[in-house]
Amino acid sequence: MAAKVSHYEPPSSASSESEDGKDDREMFFTEEISMDNKFEMGTPTPIPTSPRPPSASSTKSPHSRRQRTVSCSQSNKKTAAESVLQSKTRTIYTAGRPPWYNFAGQQVEPFIIGICGGSASGKTTVATKIIESLDVPWVTLLSMDSFYKVLNEKQHEMAARNEYNFDHPDAFDFELLRKTLQRLKEGKKVEVPIYNFVTHSRESRTKTMYGANVIIFEGILTFYNADVLKMCDMKVFVDTDADVRLARRLKRDISQRGRDLDGVLKQYNTMVKPSFYYYIAPSMVHADIIVPRGGDNEVAIELIVQHIHTQLQLRGFKLREKLALSYIGQPLPNSLYLLPDTPQIKGLHTFIRNEKTHRDEFIFYSKRLMRLVIECALSLLPFKEVSVETPQGVSYNGRRNASEKICGVSILRAGETMEQPLRDVCKDIRVGKILIQTNFETGEPELYYLRLPKDIKDYKVILMDATVATGAAAMMAIRVLLDHDVPADNIMLASLLMAESGVHSIAYAFPNVKIVTSALDPEINEKFYVLPGIGNFGDRYFGTEPSTTADD
Amino acid sequence: MGNSDAAVKKLPMQNGNTTNLTLLVNENSTENGTEEYGSNLKILPANDVIRELQTILRDRTTSRSDFKFYADRLIRLVIEESLNQLPFTKCVITTPTGCQYDGLKYQKGNCGVSIVRSGEAMEQGLRDCCRSIRIGKILVESDVDTHEARVVYAKFPDDIAKRKVLLMYPIMSTGNTVIKAIAVLKEHNVLEENIILSNLFCTPFAAKTLVTAFPKMKILTSEIHAVAPNHFGQKYFGCRERGVSKKYN
Repeated sequence: MAAKVSHYEPPSSASSESEDGKDDREMFFTEEISMDNKFEMGTPTPIPTSPRPPSASSTKSPHSRRQRTVSCSQSNKKTAAESVLQSKTRTIYTAGRPPWYNFAGQQVEPFIIGICGGSASGKTTVATKIIESLDVPWVTLLSMDSFYKVLNEKQHEMAARNEYNFDHPDAFDFELLRKTLQRLKEGKKVEVPIYNFVTHSRESRTKTMYGANVIIFEGILTFYNADVLKMCDMKVFVDTDADVRLARRLKRDISQRGRDLDGVLKQYNTMVKPSFYYYIAPSMVHADIIVPRGGDNEVAIELIVQHIHTQLQLRGFKLREKLALSYIGQPLPNSLYLLPDTPQIKGLHTFIRNEKTHRDEFIFYSKRLMRLVIECALSLLPFKEVSVETPQGVSYNGRRNASEKICGVSILRAGETMEQPLRDVCKDIRVGKILIQTNFETGEPELYYLRLPKDIKDYKVILMDATVATGAAAMMAIRVLLDHDVPADNIMLASLLMAESGVHSIAYAFPNVKIVTSALDPEINEKFYVLPGIGNFGDRYFGTEPSTTADD
Repeated sequence: MGNSDAAVKKLPMQNGNTTNLTLLVNENSTENGTEEYGSNLKILPANDVIRELQTILRDRTTSRSDFKFYADRLIRLVIEESLNQLPFTKCVITTPTGCQYDGLKYQKGNCGVSIVRSGEAMEQGLRDCCRSIRIGKILVESDVDTHEARVVYAKFPDDIAKRKVLLMYPIMSTGNTVIKAIAVLKEHNVLEENIILSNLFCTPFAAKTLVTAFPKMKILTSEIHAVAPNHFGQKYFGCRERGVSKKYN
């Protein structure tokens, strides 16, 4: 199953493996592709010395090490070409992530589906079929396998002799599981451990997961812990006959893992079967839906999918229009810092707003203006009094920046243009990036890509976007930062031009985020451009405007 | 947090309401500069960033690389502010959204003049703002024995008499060098009211001397302080002051 979705497709998901711990990188990733390929190509693969835990089910890989905790979406099964539409003048990407919070910037809770069932009952098949039929971007699949406890030496030896009970509740770290699920439910970033079934320990790498619209949580003891059970919005039990499950296990363990019949039966009779009757079968009473025959039961899956759709609609994700219409005629918020209206700033605006300005001049003057905006943003950071010795032999009472860690985060594409001015004033500053694009069908912003400094929670963050109209993209970016545990006080949004309604929306949703801009325009048109505005800043800066209006 | 210096100024809006709009101004940046020196001397609105830059430049332990980097930042801010003193006219332009925007346009006919050597440190800052501006130069040397400043070299655009002149010199302790330079400009028929002096650090003595000697000239500085950081040129360029002239004179 997992192999099916294992190709790498950068701009469409919220899960990743952390890379040497250097960056938080969130992009599309699912499975150890190389291993599956090896097997399919018939290369001889070593038989693992340690048996797979009995709870493991339907993957094709002969390796006992596997990762079933994935984050994926409907779109990830499409090829790259399918998620990109080419119209006459534009390229449209359809695989981004729509807002997962409501218009006041508050998190909308994801829908959590718990799937429980005996070993080899077809839980993963059911989960995959739900994802396939759901057609919702951004689904996270969390497997209980990730939460096996780290074994000590003695337990490790027992495991080698098929005597360690992987089906018993004691084998799982329920506390970590509960915390992880709780954070996912809050939309926060989590590091999901990767369990290595050969060494029976957690690998140093982890899988970064990030709030999704739908979370599917599957495992043999999904309903065992009361706290975890409470978090599930929908509880599904996959009920497959014991003989079918045994048959699947025998087939898989003998033909794919080269184990002998006696060993498999012994394990089944002493551990798998008793665990099922003691712990798994009784938990069926908690289920909302019991799915007989597992993944083959299409009627059941269709019913589940319908229910989820209804629930998601109730939670509601319409965003831009609502933002544009709010707060007309309200006094400007306290968190707004507007650059003084000097002749230079006005003159620079005259250059960059003029439709006749050529790109060369547009770039030059917008950079000048950006530098002033950045200098202004920096002056809002905390400072401390210091006294320094001067070469003249007297001491001088001055000020130094009090914050050690400052980083920039640009909202792609237009925000990227502010990176150079930022680097020009801050030596060696770290710069993260967030790609947010507007979906032209829905008019909603969608999150595509995210790369932030490690430990961004310790940084003062200067979030940069060239223009802010409704504020939808900026709010999504702020939400992302908050989800990465950056306190709102530490976030500053810097921009060349903002519309009043956007400022109101952002200030209303995030009153502690400072907003810095060089000009404020009163209106937004039906295409969400600021008026009188500046046009499409990114297109003008990068020269990608439709050819009819391009000047050279 | 950390915003202690920025005064919150309540602006009356056109409809009569006051808003809590926070303008980034400081008590120093009142319309007419400090009263002591008259309205033609302006001090850069002193926010925390500018204070920090000044602190770094004055700190004895700052490395040369940092010194140049932060000096360039401060210069850029002073130049941007100096350009605000240039004349402009109102104009209306059309934006790509088809709307009218009431903007303003700077008049042509400006030029920069730097006083060698430390004034040249400010040329790049000016170039970064006005890409093709003409820049003249004046070399003023103090006599080793008498300490009297004298002009040894000057080169200007031909029509400098018709232009607004942005005179650049970062450190003023006595003001003697600048006085000589202005005298040269006046010899070239530049009007006193057309000169804008851009400066980073100025002593109260120099400020007083200059506003008295040239009451119509505009002066812009980032700080008036009794001690001038005289190491500026040496640290910025990394060569000793007058190292060559002593040897050859």
